[in-house]
Amino acid sequence: MENAASRQIYKKPFTKKIYPYLFIAPFALLVFVFFILPAIATIVMSFTDLNASMKPKFVGVTNFTRIFSDYNLPQILWNTAIFAVLSLAISLLFALIISIATQYFLKGKLSAVLYRVLWLIPSIIPAVVYVTFWKYVFDPTEEGFLNSLMQQFGIVSDPVSWFTKGAMAIVILATIVSTISGGMILLSAAINSIPEDLYKAARVDGASEKSVITKIIMPTLKWPLMYITISELIGFVSSYFFIMLLTGGGPMRDTTTLSLYAYQQAFNLKYYGYGAAVSLIVVFISFILTLFFLRLFDFDQMIRPSRIED
Amino acid sequence: MSPSTLKKTLVHTYMTLFTLPIIAMIVWYFLSATMNFTTGQFSLDNFAFFQEPVEYSGVKLPLIWPIVFNTIIYSLLIVAVEVCISVPTAYAFSRLDFKGKRAAMKFLFLMRSFPGITLIIATFFILVQMQLVNTYLGVLLVAITGSLPGRVYIMKGFFDDVPWDIEWAAMVDGCTRFRAFKKVLVPYVLPGIGAIAVFSFLGAYGEWFLFKLLIFNDDMLTLAGYLSKLITKENQIVNYGLITAIGLFYTLPIVVFYIFTQKIFMSVNLGGAKQV
Repeated sequence: MENAASRQIYKKPFTKKIYPYLFIAPFALLVFVFFILPAIATIVMSFTDLNASMKPKFVGVTNFTRIFSDYNLPQILWNTAIFAVLSLAISLLFALIISIATQYFLKGKLSAVLYRVLWLIPSIIPAVVYVTFWKYVFDPTEEGFLNSLMQQFGIVSDPVSWFTKGAMAIVILATIVSTISGGMILLSAAINSIPEDLYKAARVDGASEKSVITKIIMPTLKWPLMYITISELIGFVSSYFFIMLLTGGGPMRDTTTLSLYAYQQAFNLKYYGYGAAVSLIVVFISFILTLFFLRLFDFDQMIRPSRIED
Repeated sequence: MSPSTLKKTLVHTYMTLFTLPIIAMIVWYFLSATMNFTTGQFSLDNFAFFQEPVEYSGVKLPLIWPIVFNTIIYSLLIVAVEVCISVPTAYAFSRLDFKGKRAAMKFLFLMRSFPGITLIIATFFILVQMQLVNTYLGVLLVAITGSLPGRVYIMKGFFDDVPWDIEWAAMVDGCTRFRAFKKVLVPYVLPGIGAIAVFSFLGAYGEWFLFKLLIFNDDMLTLAGYLSKLITKENQIVNYGLITAIGLFYTLPIVVFYIFTQKIFMSVNLGGAKQV
């Protein structure tokens, strides 16, 4: 009898059980109201014809059939793909070049620090200030940087309207210059963690620079590169801040990506239901990418039990 | 020339070429704001917005000082709220046991990488229902929900690094668990709190999108929202001098702030990257 009582498992008092939840309560509440609820609402809204009158009516899958017959859709999908793929490829390439140059070739030199700090500036300064520069460079009047430069050298006589010719190229250029630094930080840290001895050993063995880069540096960068690829892809597919500030999706629909199209449908044309249906596609793509992203991490290592019993 | 100096020169040449646009950008900013291009002389005419409301392409804009005030208040408020919410949350995720911790962790992680911006249409609708459109509270709540998962994640990393011995020692000395958190752990993770405060401040200072979407009164804008109104008003910027002058006034404090805090950017484990 006494034996049974002593074997009785220690039961946490209620206050102790509730205690951790109090810590995460404010966060959980915010997440519920502004993340889970909107996620559900997006799905619900996409089945209604909610518009400026704010009297939603259930319309079934009409919105989705409308998406597939939308004559803008092929161009918008193409824009999204071009924007995401080109931005990703070029910014990744440059992040790689810059981090190898500053952390391997110029390691520990003042100039390396200078280059890195300069490259961080586009991502540090606020977006609204940053895009002004690109607007100036590609300004369609004679005032613009490229136009005045080209007129001075007598290449063209009339100012070129850059934004009507290559709006997408401008948007991609502005996007990559400011996203390079994010990848650069991670890659630089990874290269920095390679022990100096490895380089020395390679040099003693007479390895060329090329094989140092391909055999020592690149294998170390495998994981960071995967991380950057997926996280930047999520960003490029879902966000439209630079596009909105630079071109607003125009001229015509030349720079409208899928996520911006959803925004325009909802907030410019007030077709909230249709906008939600379009954004649901973006949500779906981002969700798949996010799941890929999660697979990159080792969860068991991240979750540790408390080492205090209370 | 030996091959190694040749190589160094080559690397320097390429790096300088890559960096040239950024240097050009910085130089242009200062020149455009402080030079009168028709006379080619130094002038501070563009900074007239300090004293009087300026007119820009036919639209009279509100005076800048109330907007500066809004910016500072909004940014500091965001910093305070984000720190106050993310520190306890990160503590619970790092050091307490509770049912559903694993699932909550996974969800936190999913949310951190999932772009909340894609849900903005529904979020807007919910704000309309809660009558929070055109209020600071609405902007603030949406903004912090978007950035909190990242902050919690960084903070959790800092809490993970605190040795258990310290907490044990505090509790042996008679602290309760909460007192140990308050008196021992929080001071220990102060660098982490500093880091997330800097991130929050920079994020709030640059926030223009939510202001454009949710705030309709011009006198409630912050500097970022104000500038975004100016540069998206027409497709083409009419008066670069004025825009760059305001932009410079807006950016310089951030750059100075950044120079003093840049170590944080390099040291914080940004991605929770496992092998970096």
